[in-house]
Amino acid sequence: MSESDPKPTTPADDWMTSRRTFLRAAGFTFASAMITGCQSSPIHHAIPYLVQPEDVVPGRPVYYAGTCSGCSSGCGVLVKNRDGRPIKIEGYTDHALSQGGVCAVGQAHLLGLYDNLRFSGPRRDGQPVEWTDVDAEIAAQIAKVKAEGGAVRYLSGTVSGPASRTVVEKFLGGFADARWVMYDPISSSAILDSHERTHGARVLPRYRFEKADVVVSFGADFLGTWTSPVEHTAGYRARRTPDDPAVPMSYHVQFESRLSTTGGKADRRFRVAPSEMGALVSGLAALVARKAGTELAGAAAPAAHAEALAEVAERLWAAKGKCLVVSGSQDVQVQALCNFINHLLGNYDQTLDVTAPSNQRLGSDSALAALLDELRGGRVKALFIDGVDPVYDLGLATELADAIRRVPLVVNFASRNDETAVASKFVCPDHHALESWTDSEPVRGIVNLSQPATRPLLATRSVLESLSAWMGEPRSILDIVRSTWETKVFPRQTAQPVFLTFWERSVQDGFCTVTPEPVAASAFNLAAVKPAGEAHAAAAGQLEVVVYPTVGMLDGRHAYNAWLHEMPDPMTRVTWDSYACLAPATAKRLGLSEGDVVRVAAAEPGASVECSVVIQPGQHEGVVSLPMGYGSRLSERFANVGPQWLESRTAVGDDGRVGRHAGPFVTMREGARLFDGRPVQVSPTGRSRPLAAVQLHHALTAPEELDGLGFERRDIVRQTTFAELHDEKSHGGHGEHHGGPSELWPQDHPVTGPKWGMSIDLSACTGCSACVVACQVENNVPVVGRDEVMRHREMHWIRIDRYYEGDGDDVSFQPMMCQQCGVAGCETVCPALATLHSEDGLNQQVYNRCVGTRYCANNCAYKVRRFNWFDYPHADRFENLVLNPDVVVRSRGVMEKCSFCVQRIQEARIAAKARGEAIADGAIQPACQQTCPARAITFGDLNDPNSALSKANHGRRSYRVLEEVGTEPSVTYRAVVRNREGGEGHHG
Amino acid sequence: MQQATETGWLGSRRLTTLLIIALIFGSALLVTGFGPMRLPGDQQGYEPAQPIKFSHRLHAGELAIDCFYCHSGAEKSRHAGVPAASTCMNCHKNITSTFGAFRAEDDLAKKEGRPPRQIVSAELRKLYDALGLDDARKPDPAKTPKPIQWVRIHTVPDFVHFDHSAHVNAGVTCQQCHGTVQAMERLRQDSDLGMGWCVNCHRTSNKSGVAGKPVHASIDCATCHH
Repeated sequence: MSESDPKPTTPADDWMTSRRTFLRAAGFTFASAMITGCQSSPIHHAIPYLVQPEDVVPGRPVYYAGTCSGCSSGCGVLVKNRDGRPIKIEGYTDHALSQGGVCAVGQAHLLGLYDNLRFSGPRRDGQPVEWTDVDAEIAAQIAKVKAEGGAVRYLSGTVSGPASRTVVEKFLGGFADARWVMYDPISSSAILDSHERTHGARVLPRYRFEKADVVVSFGADFLGTWTSPVEHTAGYRARRTPDDPAVPMSYHVQFESRLSTTGGKADRRFRVAPSEMGALVSGLAALVARKAGTELAGAAAPAAHAEALAEVAERLWAAKGKCLVVSGSQDVQVQALCNFINHLLGNYDQTLDVTAPSNQRLGSDSALAALLDELRGGRVKALFIDGVDPVYDLGLATELADAIRRVPLVVNFASRNDETAVASKFVCPDHHALESWTDSEPVRGIVNLSQPATRPLLATRSVLESLSAWMGEPRSILDIVRSTWETKVFPRQTAQPVFLTFWERSVQDGFCTVTPEPVAASAFNLAAVKPAGEAHAAAAGQLEVVVYPTVGMLDGRHAYNAWLHEMPDPMTRVTWDSYACLAPATAKRLGLSEGDVVRVAAAEPGASVECSVVIQPGQHEGVVSLPMGYGSRLSERFANVGPQWLESRTAVGDDGRVGRHAGPFVTMREGARLFDGRPVQVSPTGRSRPLAAVQLHHALTAPEELDGLGFERRDIVRQTTFAELHDEKSHGGHGEHHGGPSELWPQDHPVTGPKWGMSIDLSACTGCSACVVACQVENNVPVVGRDEVMRHREMHWIRIDRYYEGDGDDVSFQPMMCQQCGVAGCETVCPALATLHSEDGLNQQVYNRCVGTRYCANNCAYKVRRFNWFDYPHADRFENLVLNPDVVVRSRGVMEKCSFCVQRIQEARIAAKARGEAIADGAIQPACQQTCPARAITFGDLNDPNSALSKANHGRRSYRVLEEVGTEPSVTYRAVVRNREGGEGHHG
Repeated sequence: MQQATETGWLGSRRLTTLLIIALIFGSALLVTGFGPMRLPGDQQGYEPAQPIKFSHRLHAGELAIDCFYCHSGAEKSRHAGVPAASTCMNCHKNITSTFGAFRAEDDLAKKEGRPPRQIVSAELRKLYDALGLDDARKPDPAKTPKPIQWVRIHTVPDFVHFDHSAHVNAGVTCQQCHGTVQAMERLRQDSDLGMGWCVNCHRTSNKSGVAGKPVHASIDCATCHH
């Protein structure tokens, strides 16, 4: 109809005849009736306590000091409890070991408390039974074993708590032939065994990285998955603060086969095949020995890295007593050589403490080997399995499961139906650590005491209660722990003269410091030190395998945990899968590209696994590395994780599990489990299975193929050297200052009060990803599953971008979250005014206004906005108990992003206002900062010149990402600094 | 043809349709007696029956018990909180019925020359039942303690985070939002608790202060929405 057409008039009798008109009218009427009719909401109830506990105010969090049970490191944590349920694990600044940090696993293991598939009570042959029934049966069988004098074995992970040790030892004391076998799935057995040889005491030294000027690591991933990562990160970070020229930065050399997060942080890094490692350590030992005026007989000079070793020896000798040589090797000979080097350098009692050694790993692989022999021979009459999953861990699935089934009495304290629990006749599930009294002594003299943060949610029972019941003297766990502490711990200190005050103090603090039990060490036994074997190159066409724990999955004990599966690995950035890492040259030689499925196979005893390839720069060319912890029964639950829709694909592989189990490649040799060095054949299968890797999602850098087209390479991550930083003439890594205030938009919203900002020290960040999980827990970020991740729909509010420098020997990690821009691209394009500026400089996202145009995400320079494509599953009401009530669960169709934990800002503001004060500097800690083991994040008021943040920002290393586009971000980064000669630093 | 039926905004056909709709609407309102038009979720005037006929008029009005005695969270938490049954028992351990009922029993007992009997009102018996107590307020093994399920009146949607302590500590009186609770026999929602109502008060408070003091009541979205 053209505009000039006159509008035809409507015949007056036409109005009832149109069907459309009728439908319109009916529709509107119906809608109006709905609106007026929907006045009454569903009835909500308010159900108060019958008797209100004294210190509980509904709506206010209560914090309990406790111990993390995510691994055996024994970090102190604060458990945030809201209305009777733990909702967050927070770092505990006063704890002697962890010093305020919590790792990703520590953050995530909270989810295990609300796990629907946790055993809700005891089981016999897989069927639920009553506690009274199992108790009667087990007690009868125990009596039988006692009468017959049969062999009783108690198999556990590292147990160091006084109460646990006392009860288990007492329990075992009742049998004629009883032995307690401890093993660590990620073993450090060789370190302990080597000290038995060289020091006459089987101890794991406590490593003091904060005292070391020079750190030399032969494959020890001490910032990631070694004996106590959070403690070591804190120590290491203390000497990696490059801003003060008076505190010299430590010098860190890493020799390793795969690229670990620790290696990526090193000042010098060398790629070494596992088979060369022994010769290298021998070579260094010989060099240091020569300097010390002795000789290491029989040590041949290693062919490779001779120059580097000479330099390292020089540096070590110059830093005598203030250096540290560590090794992740499981070869006792290599570990003894490290002891020898540290001994010659006078590091014992300086940087390695063997008088108050660590108890974080006490396992003995030789004892485990002996037990396996006994099991195979059918000599064990009763087996108790506490907190470990040997059938999975040892990669001997059918053989060991059958051997366990043949044992007349098998009692497993497992919480979930893991590989070993399936093979165990009785399962007597232990409490989750947050439900129970527990104790541990991670370092001799530092004893943790953890009170329950909630009542047991299921009909589980503490292991110690179970053992006491079977000894015929049932006691409550509180009674057990308390009485042991009165007799075993209280006498070891003098500060508190009365037990009651000592006990209450320890409960409140979550730990106490007592006199360490003395170590019966003898003089250094030089005879125990022999050069390690010559390098044995792998046969032609073969690679050496390295089986390694990742920071998220560790040994697989948390394979039930969706948060950890969704957390991208810091290095490969892969989620929801395991893979085979190959060096770029190796992959090229084999004609493989990322995502191609390869078959990794070893002969005798046969082991093979098929998984996708990840091309890993920085890895040794003769190595294929496989992450541990995947392919376990515990991951079978993830078949339907994430939103289920027409095109959704499962997160699990053909075998119904997430990833493949690398355990079969671990071998047992001479009483030690070897995780690397085994020759394997890597052959392409011709198939391809893309991985859910997130590195290239939300990338800030222009792709390299666009380099020639005039695209500017932006220095997203800046790197400098210690020398350059303190050289007055250089710009100290500051880079050029770009841009200035935006010319496009006027500064029409000046912030007069506090303006919140953040500074992130890239030099401190180890990529550990604790912040990623902490943010997920704090902000109710949903899990989306493998398929959605592959569609770039991961929901994490904070991601850790990983940048390789050069050939991949230097790695920088950059936590990236909403930069709370002063001139925000997202705000100008939102048609709904759903994202806009607050008066304290925050870029607010208002979910209830958002209509989901996604313009903001497209216009975000930092790619930090996440869209809710679905109503992510929250059907599991038990699991929903973990949700933070201070943060709304977003519904489908709205955008979300980092809010700087605005709920914490509000809480601090309300508290400060109530006191009539300004918000104190440091009173607000976003979840990422709170948990960071490396203290890399500083949060505060940009408008306060005296805030820690303003001081951090004044450093020479500070810069803002994409400053040149004029977004005025509130987040400042501090450049990576490496301890090198000047000019070696690069801008990323 | 579509074009042929198209007409101007106030063409007779559309006007008629509108009138019909208005008629249906109007009659619906008359029949159900909804009163003024409201937004969904607006529960102003909501006055549900409670499991126990608790009278705010008696407790807060006549007896002038301080609001914070029972709603102790209001000063320190986001939730004002419904008092625990144990809080009720601070008084109702001894006060088992109304004053009138006591006096009547006293008079009767005097008349009949016997000691007065224990009087327990039907409403308070519900409280004792909840706590698993008998009429003598002693634990009764036959009864299982079961928390009282009060019907919640004041509620805001999940995407709103309201904090009582922030308001109470700023000097906002309870009545400003909750109305004259001390005069309500059965509690009724006085305000609509809608966002407009919140923001208006924040704006006015920023201009004129609260309780004579200047205040800064933020009108940023993230103050409540996070």
